[in-house]
Amino acid sequence: MTSWLDRLRIWLSGSRRAPFAVSPSSLAVLGRQIATTQEVEYACDDVYRLLDQFAEAVSRGDDAAPWMPLIRSHLDRCPDCRAEFEALMQALLSPES
Amino acid sequence: MGSQRSRDNAEWISALTSTGQAQEAALADLREILVSGLRRGLAAWLEPYSPQLVSLAEEASQEALVRILAKLDTFEGRSRFTTWAYKVAIRIALTELRRKQWQDVSLDEMLEARADQGQEASVLDPQAGPETTVEQRDMLALIGRILQEELTERQLAMMQAVALRGVPMEALAQKLGVERNALYKMMHDARLKLKRRLAREGLELGDVMATFEGSNTSGGRVVKGESA
Repeated sequence: MTSWLDRLRIWLSGSRRAPFAVSPSSLAVLGRQIATTQEVEYACDDVYRLLDQFAEAVSRGDDAAPWMPLIRSHLDRCPDCRAEFEALMQALLSPES
Repeated sequence: MGSQRSRDNAEWISALTSTGQAQEAALADLREILVSGLRRGLAAWLEPYSPQLVSLAEEASQEALVRILAKLDTFEGRSRFTTWAYKVAIRIALTELRRKQWQDVSLDEMLEARADQGQEASVLDPQAGPETTVEQRDMLALIGRILQEELTERQLAMMQAVALRGVPMEALAQKLGVERNALYKMMHDARLKLKRRLAREGLELGDVMATFEGSNTSGGRVVKGESA
């Protein structure tokens, strides 16, 4: 068992985490991310499940489905899913769609 | 391309679940549709008509056909079948594209600390007055302490990589051997923790950001360059 003195020695020897430095530019990015955080958010799988319906609704100019705001806010936050949505919208321009 | 026959959702499902010539014809048509759609969809990432785009569209379409056949029973008919199929093919293509783009970058490199970490004081606006500079420095130190106390080292490194350095979550998830969904949930937990902690500290994000209003917060390099 480690005594309090040993723990103090470990702490003093630098095993604790180094202080985290934040720059103003990092704060600006993180601040935006935190400010838009919701208790309930769609995760990537939720968005993927509905992405085809969402893309067609956007193409029709239909914004009625109750889940659409949750998808929009996820797309604002997640560049990976946003890329898939944008690619899908481009694909839908094809005559076969 | 012009020889494809048009099908509604029921006809697609019927043809793809049949056998013989009907299935082969549907697969050939779907493959052509996917290649064409991917060439449009991927044009923002790769040069149109480039060998890379053509090759990726062909390979992803082929893999998508296999996946579509395997998951046909999960298609609920709430969109056009071809839209659903595009979605599957696009996920495959972009996942592969990210894998190739980041294959030479190690996990350690993705998660390594920013080059300007530890130099936060040097990027404060040099034209701000001494009181403002002290206020800004205190605020940055407080936020740094909150980040350190609320997040695990790994959460912090991931937030830095994804939110600050633009590493795609898919690329990071591949290196970590986890699903992107799991990574998103972890990031969501981290953001929620920070939001709740800021609330407990009585800190309004608007006030925090206002501390830096009027200062150039676009990064140290620009501030230093513009101060001359």
